[in-house]
Amino acid sequence: MRHTPLRCPVAKSLAGRDPQTAFTDKPLAVRCAALAVTLAFVSFSATRPHYGGVLRVEMREAIESAEPPQTGSLAALTAGFTISQWEGGRRAIYSADPAAAGGRPFLDSVEVQMGRPLHDQSIALNLGKADLVEFDASDAQRAGSPHKVWSSSPVRVLLLLFGPRVEDTHVREALALAVDRTSIHNVMLQRQGEISGALLPQWISGEAFLFPATTDVPKARSMTAALPPAARTFTLGVADPANRRIADRIALNARDAGLTISPPPPGAPGDVRLLEVRIRSADPATALAQLCSALGLAAPPRMDSPEALYAAERALLENYRVIPLFHLPVVYGVNPRVKGAPGITPLGEWRFENLWVEAARP
Amino acid sequence: MTFRIRLLLIFTMAVVASVGVVEWSVSNKTREQFELLEAQRVDVLVRQFRSEYDRRKQEIVLAVKRIADSRLASDIAASSQPEEYYQEAERLASTNGLDCLELVAEDGSIVSSAEWPARFSYKEEWLTPAKDWKAMGAFLKPEELQDGFTLSLLAVDTASAEDHKLYVVGGQQLNRDFLSTLVPPEGMRVLLYRNLDPFYSPSRLIPVSGTGQRSGEMQALIERVLHDKRPMIQTVGQGEDAETFHVLPLPGYEGNVLGVLLIGSSRRDLVRLEATVRRVGILVAAGGILLGLALSWWATIRVTRPVMRLAESAAKVAAGNWGTTVETTSSDEIGQLAHAFNRMTHELVEQRDRLVQAERVAAWRELARRLAHELKNPLFPLQITVENMQRARDNYPDQFDEVFRESTQTLLAELSNLKQIIGRFSDFAKMPAPEMQTVNCNELAEATLKLFEPQLAKSGVEAKSELDPRLRAVQADPEQLTRVLRNLVLNAIDAMPNGGTLTIRTVALAGGVRLEVSDTGQGLTPEECERLFTPYYTTKTHGTGLGLAIVQSVVSDHKGRIAVESQPGKGSTFRIEL
Repeated sequence: MRHTPLRCPVAKSLAGRDPQTAFTDKPLAVRCAALAVTLAFVSFSATRPHYGGVLRVEMREAIESAEPPQTGSLAALTAGFTISQWEGGRRAIYSADPAAAGGRPFLDSVEVQMGRPLHDQSIALNLGKADLVEFDASDAQRAGSPHKVWSSSPVRVLLLLFGPRVEDTHVREALALAVDRTSIHNVMLQRQGEISGALLPQWISGEAFLFPATTDVPKARSMTAALPPAARTFTLGVADPANRRIADRIALNARDAGLTISPPPPGAPGDVRLLEVRIRSADPATALAQLCSALGLAAPPRMDSPEALYAAERALLENYRVIPLFHLPVVYGVNPRVKGAPGITPLGEWRFENLWVEAARP
Repeated sequence: MTFRIRLLLIFTMAVVASVGVVEWSVSNKTREQFELLEAQRVDVLVRQFRSEYDRRKQEIVLAVKRIADSRLASDIAASSQPEEYYQEAERLASTNGLDCLELVAEDGSIVSSAEWPARFSYKEEWLTPAKDWKAMGAFLKPEELQDGFTLSLLAVDTASAEDHKLYVVGGQQLNRDFLSTLVPPEGMRVLLYRNLDPFYSPSRLIPVSGTGQRSGEMQALIERVLHDKRPMIQTVGQGEDAETFHVLPLPGYEGNVLGVLLIGSSRRDLVRLEATVRRVGILVAAGGILLGLALSWWATIRVTRPVMRLAESAAKVAAGNWGTTVETTSSDEIGQLAHAFNRMTHELVEQRDRLVQAERVAAWRELARRLAHELKNPLFPLQITVENMQRARDNYPDQFDEVFRESTQTLLAELSNLKQIIGRFSDFAKMPAPEMQTVNCNELAEATLKLFEPQLAKSGVEAKSELDPRLRAVQADPEQLTRVLRNLVLNAIDAMPNGGTLTIRTVALAGGVRLEVSDTGQGLTPEECERLFTPYYTTKTHGTGLGLAIVQSVVSDHKGRIAVESQPGKGSTFRIEL
């Protein structure tokens, strides 16, 4: 479609709000009539839910299991939908369950594409081929984006986990002190989430601020100065390629502290790994236990009080085997045609029962 | 070595030398042409490189300027939250064809880096000093990347907005891809050394085209260029592996040499060409030598055959056959030589005849003169004595008897003298053939000395004999040999009027004996030595001059040799070998 430049400011404004509609510079009366009709239509269609339609979702994770998972985002879909097609690692289709407890969802079905890189997801969203995709920090902050952004509470814990090869506590502590979390948070994460030295986010435990996350390069340098070069050299593996740049920045920070960090050989996990662990419970004790389990750490003792929780978390962190860095939200980019309340919970789980999609304009 | 072989050798050497000179000339010319061609090819490549280099610089400057002039750059410069733009450099670098791009804030901190995105907020201190970056154009600079340093061709431009400034630093890495358009012709290759380490590092030498080799050999070459900062040409390697390198230093923005471009030209083709020329030359030389041998053999036969005839004839002449002539079959130089030879032998015969005639006449004259001289001496006293007798009979008859008696004694003495003189001449004239028998020369020498003992004592001469006991007996005429020794002893005594030492010495030789008679007299001059054995020649005031002539005659009859060795004032030694 060929667009001519608009001179009318009203038409320009409308065109900016609704790029799908072709606005023209017509005589004022005609234009006002058209504007009235359009506004009425937009207002009507934006506020009234309707049944039908397919929500196209893309995700990075490729669940290779033969059967649909019982936990996680996909499992959460079963609140209103039933699995109708499952292709492990590739695709899943969930159809609306007419007998759902909360009533039949507006959507007819949800089609999930798995194993899609973030970049491809972003393109698919921009091309209108997907309705809901995962966003990284830069996508979420991109100015002028026509898409909606749904963000959870910080439930993704980004941390460094040391393997057994790095035995010297001073080296681990030096790295913890060397990482410039603020720069990474401000620039790479575009201020999303929280800087933290704790495993559990502040909104769950209320104690995260007690764990220091400050940078002290001179102190880190003094701790490594006396160490032999071999002890100051190790590899840093990254589980998720999306975090590769953060790992690069950590290596750069480590260099300032006299540490030499390089990528691990292909196939090797690395002496220290940059991991992202998802919190799936708002209960602090449960969340901490799940984190320990996910990280292969010893299960914490019973935590009946905030003091016990703090002590347990402190015990996990005091030897610097685990260095928490950030607590990040789950962020989704949503096609404007998707209507309804945000379809994710504070823990980032999907709730698509109350969503509907606008039909394409004729 | 015969003349024929010498001639053959000369012919062969001439052929080899000719072929050698031709081959040397061809090789030399080939090398000159090859080097000229190589210089042209290198020149083209260097110009191509410079053109490509300048073009890339211009492209980089334009790309950086385009970015700096963009709205986005102004937005970033004016932004209070530049971290929002930390990924922009990658996108801009990609769309503008740059390998590296950094957007740097006014204070030197990196806002966004394409080549090392994680390096945001780090400082680029080198940018902040005031410089006219636009005027500098593109320049070489080491650039730190995540995996080490690289060499980049960079340009700097600035974007301004609201009193804020943004540095745009963009460029391309100077690597294999950068110079991929530089396609050298066959046999040439291009290498690039990136001077990024304090010391030479082989890993910094990358082959832009062709393969990288002899890194170690080129270390000295590169280090020299880095030191001298001037282009140079040098050949490394040997034989077919030799390579001539034209080395160009690439200066950085601070004047230091950051890159070195090496254009290598293999000398394999030249070496092979030279080997081919040499092989052909050797084959031609071999053929030429064989042909030359055949031709020279034929030529030398033609030349040397008459020469050999001449040589044979000359040998006959030398042997005494003076009437020998050479057959002449040609009128060339050899024919003329043969004619001249024949003329020479003819002249020789004629001159010999004339000489014999003249010598004969001279001998007779000498004989007559000697006879006259020898006979005149005793005749004069005879005449005086007879006249005394006549005068006494006429004037003093009373004393005549006494005078007569005395005169007759004188007459008899003089007649005896005359008889002796005539006897000597007679002896020389009728020298008999030697009658050979076994003779012990030591015994002869001792007997001779014993015979002369009184005379030696009277003359005050001391006689010494040094006789070799190993001396073997020889076949000789003892009488004639005794005569020889006597003559030599007499001569020695005459040579020492004031006394001296006479030595007779015998020495056993491998095939005979040597007799030596030495005196310590006045000695002889070389001229006297030459004429000493000439008949009738004498250095004494008395004597016939036949003594040494007789000695030589006897020695010659015994197939022996006689020689004299003398120096004036130091005596003489007569040496006879039998």
